Amino acid sequence: MHAASEGFPNEFDQRAGGERPALLTLSTLGGAMPAADELNRLVVAVAQRRDRQAFALLFKHFAPRLKTFLMRRALPADVAEEVAQEAMLAVWHKAASFDPLLAGAATWIFTIARNLWIDRQRRARLPDRLPDLSEEPEATPSAEALLIVAEREAALRRAIAALSEEQATVLQLSFFAEQPHAEIARTLGIPLGTVKSRVRLAVARLRGLLEGGI
Amino acid sequence: MTIRHHPRDETLLELAAGSLPPGPALVIRSHLEACEECRRRIAELEVVGGALLEALPPTSLAPESLAEALAAIDREDAPRLPLRPRSAATPPDGDLVLPAALQDCTVGNWRFLGPGMRWSRVALPEAPEANLMLLRIGPGRRLPEHGHVGTEYTQVLRGSFSDWRGCYRAGDLMEADSEIDHHSVVETEGECICLVALEGQLRLRGWVGRLFGPLLGF
Repeated sequence: MHAASEGFPNEFDQRAGGERPALLTLSTLGGAMPAADELNRLVVAVAQRRDRQAFALLFKHFAPRLKTFLMRRALPADVAEEVAQEAMLAVWHKAASFDPLLAGAATWIFTIARNLWIDRQRRARLPDRLPDLSEEPEATPSAEALLIVAEREAALRRAIAALSEEQATVLQLSFFAEQPHAEIARTLGIPLGTVKSRVRLAVARLRGLLEGGI
Repeated sequence: MTIRHHPRDETLLELAAGSLPPGPALVIRSHLEACEECRRRIAELEVVGGALLEALPPTSLAPESLAEALAAIDREDAPRLPLRPRSAATPPDGDLVLPAALQDCTVGNWRFLGPGMRWSRVALPEAPEANLMLLRIGPGRRLPEHGHVGTEYTQVLRGSFSDWRGCYRAGDLMEADSEIDHHSVVETEGECICLVALEGQLRLRGWVGRLFGPLLGF
C-alpha cells in the first residue's frame, strides 16, 4: 500500500466496474465490494501516513458512487462530479478527524458529501461560507475496534436487505430525493401521511432487526 | 434533565439525509445538543445513508478526475483556509443560554405579541425566509386553540408547557402536524421559552399565523 504505483493516475477508468481489480488486490475475501474494515483502514492510512495510494483507492471506490448520489439529489452531472471530487478532497484533508469507532468510512464519507450538498444549497445565497475544518485528530484505533464497527455496519446492511420492498423503497427515496417525503408521496402516488408511516415502520424494523442480531 | 419528547424517526431521517429545511433542522439540532439518545439515533440513521451510498451504482467520472484530485492535494496539503471565527448568537436576555446550533444566527429583541407573550425573530444567514423564532410565554398563559398548516417544531429551552398529549419540559421537542393537532391547548406552567420553526411558507391560518401574520408582514 505504501509503494507508489506506476502510472497510477492514468489507469483510472471507471467503465464497466474498472475500479474493482485494484481494490480486490487488497481484499482477502474475494468479494466484489471491498470489506468495510478495509475501507476504514484506508482512511486511517490517509490520516496517519498521508498515503496517496490509499486515497486513490478510496477515490476509485467512493467518487463514482458519490457522483450517483449527487445526481439523484438533482445536481447536473458536471456539478455532481465537481462536488464528488470536492468531497474526496475533504476526505484527504479531514482524514485525521475520522473516528472508525463512531462510524465506518462509508458513513463518514456520506456525511461529508451530504454536508457539502447542504452547503452548496446555502452558498446560492451566502457566497463566502468556508468549509468547517475544526475537527480534532483522533488517536489510533485498534484493528479489533475497526472490525467491531465494520461488523456493526455489515449487520445494518443485512438489515436493510431484509426490509420489505416497500420499506426499502421509502428508505432509498428518503436519502436520494431532494425533498424526501413530499417527493416520495408524488413518486409513489400515495398520501404524505402514508409515506411518513412507512418511513417510521422501516426505521423501526431496522432497529428491531439490529437488536435481534438478525 | 430527563427528556420525554423526541423528534420522530422520519424527521431524524430527513435530518440525516440532509433534506430537512434549514429552520426545522436548526430546531432539531438544538434538541440533539440536549439529548444523547437522539444523537445515537441520528448516528444510526447516518449509517443507513453510508450503506445506501455504498450500494449505489457507480457513475463514471472523467478519466482525469483522480489525477486532478491528487494534483489538488499536492497544491494544498497544508492546512488551507483559515477558520472563520463562528460567532455565538446573542440572546435577547443576558441570562438565556441559546443552543450552539444558533451560532451565526441573528436574534432580535423581545417584542410584544400579546398579554404575557413575546417573541423574537431568529434569522438564519443562509435562509432569511425560514420561519424561526423564540417564543416567551408568561406563567399560566393559555394560548388560543390552534391548528398548523405545515409541521411545527418546538424545542423547549426553559420552563414547560402542556397540551392534550402531555407536558413538555426543557430539552423536550414537540412536533405538531396539521393532521393531529387541531385542538391543542397550550398552557404554560411557569415562564416558558421555546425555539419554534414552522415548515414551509407561513399562511394565515392557525394561531401562529394569526399572531405572527401582521407582525411578520405576511
